[in-house]
Amino acid sequence: MGIQFKEVSFQYPGWGKQFFEALKDISLTINDKDEFIALVGETGSGKSTLAQHMNALIFPTSGTVEINGVPITAKRNKKIKYNSIRQQIGLVFQFPEYQLFEETVEKDIMFGPKNFRVPEEEAREMAKKALNMVGLSDKYLTRNPFNLSGGEKKRVSIAGILAMNPKILILDEPTSGLDPAGKKLLMNLFKSIQKETGKTIIIITHDMDLVYEYTNRVLVLNEGMLEFDGTPDYLFHRHDIDKWHLDYPATISVLRAINDKFHYNLDIYQKTIDAAVSTIAKAVQS
Amino acid sequence: MKNVIIGQYIPGSSFFYHIDPRTKIIAVVVLMVATFLLETIWQVLIGFGIALILIIAGRVPIRKIVKGLKPLYVLLLFTLVFQIAFNRVGTIVLDATMQISPFSILFMIAATIIWRLLASFKKFSLLLFFAYLVGLFFIMKNLAFSPLWTTWQLTIYDQGLIMSGFVIIRLLIIITLSTVLTLTTKPTELTQGLESLLRPLKAIGLNSEDFALIISISLRYIPTILDEANKIMNAQASRGADFAEGRLKDKVVQVISLLVPMFIIAFKRSEELADAMESRNFVPGKPRTRIHDLKFNYRDLITTVITVLCLAGSILVKVL
Repeated sequence: MGIQFKEVSFQYPGWGKQFFEALKDISLTINDKDEFIALVGETGSGKSTLAQHMNALIFPTSGTVEINGVPITAKRNKKIKYNSIRQQIGLVFQFPEYQLFEETVEKDIMFGPKNFRVPEEEAREMAKKALNMVGLSDKYLTRNPFNLSGGEKKRVSIAGILAMNPKILILDEPTSGLDPAGKKLLMNLFKSIQKETGKTIIIITHDMDLVYEYTNRVLVLNEGMLEFDGTPDYLFHRHDIDKWHLDYPATISVLRAINDKFHYNLDIYQKTIDAAVSTIAKAVQS
Repeated sequence: MKNVIIGQYIPGSSFFYHIDPRTKIIAVVVLMVATFLLETIWQVLIGFGIALILIIAGRVPIRKIVKGLKPLYVLLLFTLVFQIAFNRVGTIVLDATMQISPFSILFMIAATIIWRLLASFKKFSLLLFFAYLVGLFFIMKNLAFSPLWTTWQLTIYDQGLIMSGFVIIRLLIIITLSTVLTLTTKPTELTQGLESLLRPLKAIGLNSEDFALIISISLRYIPTILDEANKIMNAQASRGADFAEGRLKDKVVQVISLLVPMFIIAFKRSEELADAMESRNFVPGKPRTRIHDLKFNYRDLITTVITVLCLAGSILVKVL
């Protein structure tokens, strides 16, 4: 099952008869198992619009999005329960301020499950589990979500979606505004969630280091068009990615610079800093 | 929610757009007063004619003005019905016996269904409604058959018709005037004009500059807040909050889930705005300059002359 985009286009209404074409003729397939996808592209390239199509928050202007077998087209169909789609595909928005509203963290996380008619006790259990999954201890359950730090808020908002037990988890810039340690913690968290539960995770990000180190598939959007769909290895082996306004990961840039400057022949495609350091160390020693 | 346009201003470059907002505001107020001085239906008809000529001369799209009347349809209709039903002055125009029987009720239900079915033709909704009313009248008058349940008398006096025409046309003039003002004046110009006009009130403690600042900041933030509300709605919808359907009990929680983030974000925004203004040395109540200074020109003179003529005319017909 999963999500299939079939020639999907989307236009934002503008003034008068003008439209802003946010997505142009996009076709792609996302499995609901074992994928860790990065959605990249410059600001305004249509990433968030694409993500909002994946759980039927907005409908395509033309084409079809098939979510777990349910076709979503331009016209609202009264027979389709859009709500249950949103339970299967969890979308975490960029700013936790947009969703936190309850007095305690526990109640806030329970909001999702309760909307899907999960009984009170079970929802409480799910909230606890989801909170532990994002690496926060039980003592956070009774805290006020507005008194948490930025990173903690973010994790609570992710727990709020995880508690609904979605098959696919989409995160809109989950690492923006976090310090490097917080970034690493979150990314490791997503990786472990993905490994343990086998859920597909999609992250929207601008951080190529994270893309290279963690994900196993990259979707590149540029001006509303899907320009690339493949592994990060394949993407960063290309030499023309700056035409999509993308950077290379720091490891590749640094190793390439060393190769150029000192005429080494190092393997520049190292995913982590540690691997890059040991490559350099080997070269220096020999 | 993206389609909401703040204010009714439509860009243009006709005569009305180049009049100083202060002149426009005062002229509209004076013309409204003049309208209320008129006493007979012929006078308001002439007034309405003048208003129409002004609109056409100013190239204001009439379609937009009709759109502006929409929220007032109900009010206009009520005026019409009440005047016709309760005004008992003058000669009788119509005196009909209305009959109600099982048959006529059936016919009336059928007429209602047909009317609702045709309601998809939005363009003719008003026309359809009148056709529906006439249909009801016809059914009650002629299609009763037996057995009769009750009958009642519908009597319409000519003064009732005239008075309802008078009241409706007067309302139309006033609405048209204010719509022309809002259609051709930017919200910012409007507040600037108001500020300038309210300045004498400083003597009694009302600081018009603060007042204008509050209005312009609120206007500026309406689209932002709408955008934010949209994002919050999406965020909560992706947690299963179903704003379209759902039980009443759930609805309450869902509304709270919108309002709390809304308030928090609005407060945060206003604090940030205050800081940003202060860091650029904004001090409340200090005199400041503007990019666009209001200036009078020959158009304001023409407007003033026409306005004064209208007022003088209506005073004249009242006194004579």
